[in-house]
Amino acid sequence: MRNISSVLGRFAKSISVSLVLLFAVTMSSNAQDAKEGAALFKANCTACHKVDRKMTGPALAGMSERHSEEWLVKWIKNSGALIASGDPVANQIFEEWNKVAMPAFTQFSDDQIKGIIAYVKEEEAKAAAKSAGGDGAGSGAAASSDANTLMIIGVAAILLLAIGVIVILSRVIRTLEKVIANNAAAIEAAKARNEAHEESGKVKFAQKFLKNKKLVGFTALMVVALLAVLGWQTMWNVGVHTGYKPVQPIKFSHQVHAGVNQIDCQYCHGGAYKSKNASIPSANVCMNCHNTVTAADHYDGETSPEIMKLYRAVDWNPDTREYGNNPRPIEWVRIHNLPDFAYFNHSQHVSVAGLECQTCHGPIESMEEVYQYSPLTMKWCVDCHRTTEVNADNKYYDQLIEAHEKLKKGEKMTAAMIGGLECGKCHY
Amino acid sequence: MDSNKKYWKGLEELNQTPAFVKESKSEFAEPIPVEDVLNEAGLSTRTPRRDFLKALGFGLGAVTLAACNRTPVHKAVPYVIKPEEITPGIPNYYASSFNGQSILVKTREGRPIFIEPNPNGVGLTQGTDATTVASVLDLYDMSKLQNPQLDGKDVEWSKLDSTVIAALNKAAQAGKQIAIVSTTVNSPSTLASIAKLTDKYPTTSLVQVDAVSYSGIIEANKNSFGKAVVPSYNFGKAQVVVSVAADFLGSWLSGEEHSQDFIKNRDYKSLKNGKMSRHIQFESGLSMTGSNADVRIAIKPSEEGAVLISLYNEITGQSVAGGTTNAKAQTAIKLVAKELVASKGAAVVVAGANDVNIQSLVNAINTQLGAYGAIIDLDNYSKQYQGSDSTFQQFLTAAKGGQVGVALFLNSNPVYNYFNSADVEEAIKKVDFTLSFADRKDETASLLKAIAPVPNYLESWGDASAKEGVYTVVQPTINPIYNTRQAEQSFLVWAGETTNIYDFVRQNWETNILAGTGKSWKEVLQAGYISKATAAGSAYSANVDVASVAAAIVADAKKIAGEVELKLYESTTLRDGRYANNAYLQELPDPVSKVTWDNYAAINPKFAEQLGLGENGKVTVEANGKSIELPVVLQPGQAMGTVSVAVGYGRTSVGKAGDNVGKNAYPLASLINGTVQFAAKASVSKASGTYELAQTQTHHTIEGRNIIRETTFAKYQKDPNSESGRFADSHKTYDLWNKYEQPGHKWVMAIDLNACTGCGSCIVACNVENNIPVVGRDEVRRRREMHWLRIDRYYTIEENGNKYSKENDIANVQDFENVTVVHQPMLCQHCEHAPCETVCPVLATVHSSEGLNHMAYNRCFGTRYCANNCPYKVRRFNWFNYWNDSRFDNYLNNEFTQLVLNPDVTTRSRGVMEKCSMCIQRIQAGKLTAKMENRKLVDGDVKMACQAACSANAIIFGDANDPESEVSKALRNERVYYVLEEINVQPNIGYMTKVRNTFEA
Repeated sequence: MRNISSVLGRFAKSISVSLVLLFAVTMSSNAQDAKEGAALFKANCTACHKVDRKMTGPALAGMSERHSEEWLVKWIKNSGALIASGDPVANQIFEEWNKVAMPAFTQFSDDQIKGIIAYVKEEEAKAAAKSAGGDGAGSGAAASSDANTLMIIGVAAILLLAIGVIVILSRVIRTLEKVIANNAAAIEAAKARNEAHEESGKVKFAQKFLKNKKLVGFTALMVVALLAVLGWQTMWNVGVHTGYKPVQPIKFSHQVHAGVNQIDCQYCHGGAYKSKNASIPSANVCMNCHNTVTAADHYDGETSPEIMKLYRAVDWNPDTREYGNNPRPIEWVRIHNLPDFAYFNHSQHVSVAGLECQTCHGPIESMEEVYQYSPLTMKWCVDCHRTTEVNADNKYYDQLIEAHEKLKKGEKMTAAMIGGLECGKCHY
Repeated sequence: MDSNKKYWKGLEELNQTPAFVKESKSEFAEPIPVEDVLNEAGLSTRTPRRDFLKALGFGLGAVTLAACNRTPVHKAVPYVIKPEEITPGIPNYYASSFNGQSILVKTREGRPIFIEPNPNGVGLTQGTDATTVASVLDLYDMSKLQNPQLDGKDVEWSKLDSTVIAALNKAAQAGKQIAIVSTTVNSPSTLASIAKLTDKYPTTSLVQVDAVSYSGIIEANKNSFGKAVVPSYNFGKAQVVVSVAADFLGSWLSGEEHSQDFIKNRDYKSLKNGKMSRHIQFESGLSMTGSNADVRIAIKPSEEGAVLISLYNEITGQSVAGGTTNAKAQTAIKLVAKELVASKGAAVVVAGANDVNIQSLVNAINTQLGAYGAIIDLDNYSKQYQGSDSTFQQFLTAAKGGQVGVALFLNSNPVYNYFNSADVEEAIKKVDFTLSFADRKDETASLLKAIAPVPNYLESWGDASAKEGVYTVVQPTINPIYNTRQAEQSFLVWAGETTNIYDFVRQNWETNILAGTGKSWKEVLQAGYISKATAAGSAYSANVDVASVAAAIVADAKKIAGEVELKLYESTTLRDGRYANNAYLQELPDPVSKVTWDNYAAINPKFAEQLGLGENGKVTVEANGKSIELPVVLQPGQAMGTVSVAVGYGRTSVGKAGDNVGKNAYPLASLINGTVQFAAKASVSKASGTYELAQTQTHHTIEGRNIIRETTFAKYQKDPNSESGRFADSHKTYDLWNKYEQPGHKWVMAIDLNACTGCGSCIVACNVENNIPVVGRDEVRRRREMHWLRIDRYYTIEENGNKYSKENDIANVQDFENVTVVHQPMLCQHCEHAPCETVCPVLATVHSSEGLNHMAYNRCFGTRYCANNCPYKVRRFNWFNYWNDSRFDNYLNNEFTQLVLNPDVTTRSRGVMEKCSMCIQRIQAGKLTAKMENRKLVDGDVKMACQAACSANAIIFGDANDPESEVSKALRNERVYYVLEEINVQPNIGYMTKVRNTFEA
């Protein structure tokens, strides 16, 4: 019996080992495909597709069930050709999606496409697991309510602990008081000795100090000077709001947009290049990207709550992908406030002088929340006008013959030299 | 060489009245009470220490508390979906039209803020009149209705529509008339929409009536040529113009277009070619046109016909009875007739009277002069005034007889502006259903059952056809702000049509106007107009029975002849009164009298003396059984025995700015010969009390300085330098100051005194462009008007060939009829050695490297030293925050009207000095555009607001460093002189001498 069992056991072992090996091999090959597929998917498909929801194209989840792999490969490679060939399914999808043709990907090999399909399957499985694991929002909610009870218990425990500590401390105080009461006489004596000693020291110092009139005078002078400097600085900074960082209605991050994603300033603030106002982009500019970019990766597959605020502003329903007719403009809080009597024109500085935005606005590409970087005082403007060289290549300046002659002599032509410090340049 | 002519700004200066002398010595109307404080009593007053400490403590505490408020949080709200064509901060221009003139509307972030002429348009392309520039303010008028009204209550449009349709049906069933009472309608789409209504309700008729009627001309042309139209005039071809009481440069027909053409024969370019037209004016009141005439003869209104009869006789050699007996007129007519005959084909006679016989006679004269086809165009006739007094008469009769079922009033306010408003009111009562399309509850609308308010033209789709064959488009520049609906849309709705107004206008253009022209609707929207007019009108010959016409003229003249005669006229600023709620226009000084915010009885000073009237007096003017009490203006140049009163004032329900300003003079008119006539036999009697008019002119004195240079054309032809009196020609000058270097630009201006007619549209344009506040009548009386640009009017007197050059001689003047006038626009001269700059203790006003005198408002703290030291008196001080002060409630004191402000110009605060900045925002914008386009600044890139509004091209602006610029060329002219050149402040604005083409003995 033992032999039999051992034989059987060995047999079973070998089988299982081989099975496991086999499985592992297939798994790894699958995983390999899916990994490549993931890269391809992210590079080529995400602009129009998501696994779990509709975008420009249909949601991809379940596509392997709906269509054969062979069909999918054909479709992905060249959907147009498939439609043209009269394939009924292809035509049906084409009609269903308002005849928006999916671009052909003839550069992909069949294996690469299969890899993409594998990746989609994997993602699908993950999504299913997640929803199964959570079994809908219920378990999530349960978990969160658990968390809540845990917190309540924790708070209660801390409270109890605190009460305990208070009780113990009061006991200690009481014992110490008793000790003091017992040794009151000795303490008094010691105190008196100490005080006499200290007092005489302080008084001596004060007396010496007051006798030295020069020192008194010097100290007084120093105090006055200190106060004056402090006062001067405070006065200078009245109305200067460097570092002003108001809370904005949407936590818009320049760091993500201009920094990480390297979006050109001009894409949103086009006004800075042609107008006096840099202009905050209208919400439709945001929607150019954000009708697909939902930052769901960072929010467990949900649309970012900040982007939801944008959707609310333009009255866009991300599920039906339709605009409503009740838009509400976003009321941003203005950060850079120039007084009414100062005229500033962005285009003069950005387009004509060729300044970088960062010169005045600071490291905007690394600002999570924008704050006022420059003081925006007249001194600040004037200092820059004094030192900044004028871009004399501009044909407009050909008229400034005088200035040009100076240029020839090798002097540099600053904004100040051509009237950049005159009152009427900014105040009218 | 100095001119020996004596000029004076007003009678006060001439007569050196004690009040004037006293006021001229003090800088401000209300003296600072320095003496009261520094006299013995004031100095010995003891301020108790405790009181002092209390005041000090309170002051300190109050200032600290006031300083403690936090910086307000500013919101920046971008568009949700930004329209593609809008870039915040950059203006958009839209072609539209106002009163038939093709204009460009400047909008910023979707709100209209300025009106400019369309330089590529047709007709008037080089300027706008004051009402056009000011019209942008009407859009933001708070007095407009926000909803349709039925029986004085706001209702929904649907409710109004059902009521109107029921009334229309009822009238149609009863066979009663449906009348649309309107001012002239020349808009093709309005006419088309009325046609739709007429299709549905065949008893509908259009009754056109104008407050200032031209039906005399229409009737006369019907009789003379069989064409019942008002012709259009091309004064550009006229070398001799005789006007009998027609203010053809001002309010008569299209004055501004006439100015543009007329001045082309008189401005510096024409003079350079040795050409100048001659203009002779016969009139009773001194009109703006009369003030520009080469020769002006004062006549009584009843003599107008007689003058024309004499002129006809002189020209034709006939002797029709009824010629004038006025000796001065007779001599002038003899000379004039010779001139006219000599320049046949380039001579024209115009008459202002709304009388069919006078106009028939004028037609006969013009036929003799060959003016038809050359100057007067009956083919491309004017369609601006088609109103018929007789049609309106018939309407009133029918209405009173109960034959009118529905009366719809479109742009029409006869209760206010018809001479017999009682008749109109009675007629209205007899009509079953009445409705007005007024945008406010005006005098007529408030008596009617319903009001269907129309939006402003800047919110509307539409069109106009001011001349036959010329069509201009009206396109909206902003969405309708209130719950209003265009009258055309209402007509369509009531006719059962569902087309919206845009489609209707477009379809009407595409089928009726654009067909066959090869132009598309979009091209028209961009260009703003389309012209299908023929190149020139053909010649016509008037068929007039002169003898019978003259007899009728003589008979009619007797009706208005009297010891005192009244002449009503349309003022250049306020016109017929429909713009009365426009504060810019109310504060625009009259070109001649310089009165703001009122109308008045203009009387010759000598005549006033006879009546025992003086300055600030009041009179009762009585004519045609009605009388009004008015303040008096002693008007030199006014014919003896006449009194002139402007219509268009005295509105009672137009809005905050215009209510009860002046008196309504329309009731003094009368119906003679089937037309409403503005002349009447009158009586004038002194009324009790005094009234101080808000005049701007006498606020400064010229202290007898020689600042006007005038010559005659004959002298000019001999020597172009004549009378220019340049100081530098005869004196060596020394400079105490360093010369400013202007390497880039040097902005200068040339002003042609011969082109300036004094109309004042530049003043309004300057106000709108530079956010200049309107201060109101009381503040003008205190000499606190804020105008950066003013037009000074100077009188000189000539009588019987004697020039009165000394003040003492003036007493010998028999009458003040022979007065000549020079208009001089006066603004900051941007002196190189500016006296204001040297006295400013805080360097708030400094010189720029482009030759401008900058004013930094935020630096100014209001010592007013600069104003004191300014030889030209062009600096104005802000006594209040006019745009945010409840005491100035007639203007900008609300958020809605503040939308008219130019966002590129600061609104100045109280306590700050201001003055002409030479539209520095426009200069900077022009430079920036050039830089952005990587090119040089070209002459003409930068235009001043005043320059853009000037139809006479009297203001030339540009860069003196560019020798080829128009202004450089103009300033090289021999006529150029600089005002107060002798004090060596080196102004940057050059003036060109006034040249008068007088008869040389």
